[in-house]
Amino acid sequence: MIRITPQMVTSSTVRNVNNAFAALERRSNELSSGKSILEPSDNPYGTGKAIDLQSTIDGLSDHKTSIDEAIGWEHTASSALSSIGQVVQKARELTLQATSGVNGKSDLENLAIEVEQLTESAKQDTNVQYAGQYVLSGTLTGTAPYAAGAEDAYHGNEGTISRTIAPGMTIQINQSAATLLGNGQAAEDGKLLDTLRTIAKNMREGTPAALEALDGGDLKNLDANFETLLQMQAQAGGTVDQLQMAESRIEELTTSTTEALGNTQDANYAQVATEYTSDQVAYEAALKAGGSIVQMSLLEFLK
Amino acid sequence: MSIPTLQGLQTALSGLLANQEALDVTSNNIANAQTPGYTRQTAVMETNRPLTISSLSPTTGEGARLGTGVGVAEISRIRDSYLDSQYRAESSTLGEASTSAEVLGQVQTSLDEPSSSGLSSQLSAFWTAWNDLANSPSSGAAREGVVTAGKDLANTLKQLSAQVEAASGEATTRYATFTGAKGEVQSDAEQIASLNGQIKLALDAGQQPNELLDRRDQLVDNLSKLANVSVTEHEDGTIALGFGNAAEPLVEGSTVHWPQALTSAAGGQLGALLNLTSATGALAGYKVSLNEVAAGLAASVNALQPETPFFSGTTAASMAVNATAAQIQTGPAGEPGANNLAQSIANLRGGATDQSWSAFVTKVGSDVQSAKQTEAGAQAMVTAVEERRQQVSGVSTDEEMTQMMTFQRGYEASARALTAMDQMLETLIEHTGVVGL
Repeated sequence: MIRITPQMVTSSTVRNVNNAFAALERRSNELSSGKSILEPSDNPYGTGKAIDLQSTIDGLSDHKTSIDEAIGWEHTASSALSSIGQVVQKARELTLQATSGVNGKSDLENLAIEVEQLTESAKQDTNVQYAGQYVLSGTLTGTAPYAAGAEDAYHGNEGTISRTIAPGMTIQINQSAATLLGNGQAAEDGKLLDTLRTIAKNMREGTPAALEALDGGDLKNLDANFETLLQMQAQAGGTVDQLQMAESRIEELTTSTTEALGNTQDANYAQVATEYTSDQVAYEAALKAGGSIVQMSLLEFLK
Repeated sequence: MSIPTLQGLQTALSGLLANQEALDVTSNNIANAQTPGYTRQTAVMETNRPLTISSLSPTTGEGARLGTGVGVAEISRIRDSYLDSQYRAESSTLGEASTSAEVLGQVQTSLDEPSSSGLSSQLSAFWTAWNDLANSPSSGAAREGVVTAGKDLANTLKQLSAQVEAASGEATTRYATFTGAKGEVQSDAEQIASLNGQIKLALDAGQQPNELLDRRDQLVDNLSKLANVSVTEHEDGTIALGFGNAAEPLVEGSTVHWPQALTSAAGGQLGALLNLTSATGALAGYKVSLNEVAAGLAASVNALQPETPFFSGTTAASMAVNATAAQIQTGPAGEPGANNLAQSIANLRGGATDQSWSAFVTKVGSDVQSAKQTEAGAQAMVTAVEERRQQVSGVSTDEEMTQMMTFQRGYEASARALTAMDQMLETLIEHTGVVGL
């Protein structure tokens, strides 16, 4: 015969009510936090995975920040390059005007002054900053590439600056102003500053030989400089394209990684809510059954 | 020989007394229905020695036997000692598992994972700070950001190390409290020893020391939570109690052998505490893992800061940020725009440090999970055995009510027999032989 004692009934009732309540509390925590992993022991492997995935997502967000920064940087550089482009075109017009043969001495002097002003503004144009950094000075971002005035030497370096735009993928974002402007007449490097200074010099001389040089070598040099400028603009544009492509890939990756993270650690609301309801029913049943069985005793029926 | 005239009164009286005693036992059972450790008792009734009455059997001359009523032979405990030993074995397992689960769970809580404030988030924030610095290497704010994130990391590692240390210290203290001079082991053992003596005396005097036996069983149950116990019963009613893997029995007769050395194989809560705090135990392992995370982090970051090491210290407890904001190198000296070093550090994200941390969290989680599963299994076993023990030894009030009715009716019937006997004697004494008067 199985004997059942009131102590057994009491302890099993308490146990069942506790178990039902613990299950209910667990579901309630899952529902209110939205997470199925509340502590590592709930799912040790899942916790490790969630930590890794969260770090991946944070990393992608870092890359996105870097890309946005790099795009800002490139836009700054591009606008500087297009300003210089206008300078080169203006200089070309002035050079053609000088070689037309109808200019007097003072006309040529005025043209030379104008070219010198253009030279100055080309140097000024390179001194653009993005977030306090000179973008065309190589890694010497605290130094303006060119100083105002007659001194034409490049003050930056050829250091490269890059950004990590995807896991394991870096891209160079800076270009050196010296590639286009060079180190001036003293260096005789045929770069823009050398060319402009030579043009101004030849205008001022105004001799047939000088005008000949203007029409020949100087114009050719100017065109070559313009070609360099176009290449630099193309490179900046290409970098922006690459950055934007990387950005959209980062967004896709972020979406899919976030989804994976959600699958790993987030509670499935439909399922948890259903379980919550059935746990609630179980809890109420345990309470009700316990309440009625504990009251029952032979004493009730003996008089 | 014929039947003694007043024998019937004696027989009825024995019925009254036996039923009364049985009622007392029942009443005691009901009173103790909810007393922990109480074993239900039953009055074992036996017929009294019969009288041999030869005159009633004239044919054989051997005489007939006439019952002389009932007596209570003993008041016995209803208990199954096999269930006791089973209960104690499971109780040790439960004590061991629940202590492990509790201590490891404490470490797990201090990890604060997964959350937005745990070490993994701080590592992530640290790498982000370096990435921000790589984006604007000359920015003072970005430098300060790196230093702040580094300090947060170092502090958290320090705290984690301290918390593991604290868990280990608490476990050691708990062990000392249990096993110390006024601890549970000593006091339970002394009580058992003294009960051994009292039980022996009572048995020698021919008494049933049921309450003392209950009390002793309860003390042994209690000790079984602390370590494995083995009980050897002696003929004189005393027990020898083996405890954990101590060399000598904890209690032998009325002698207590304590303190004795235990090892992590002792089982129970004490075994778990020794196991957790041992040099090769879980907590020591956690400290090693934390130090590996700290040392790996410091080494990988410092390797990319050739002039001034960013972190000082190579253990979790001694970790600190060494470099000032101005000393942080983003690239070659004298090139404020160079960011190759900062970038390389930012790219350490997801590397060995992150992996060793998430592996550590997974390890702690698995340990807690398996301890909790063992605990749940042991709990279920203890519950089941306890239930079976209750089935045998627990007091059922319904049953006692029925017994009470039985004995009450028995008492009434005996009283009625007494009345009948009395009336018979009245007839004999008052109404016999009055014809001639």
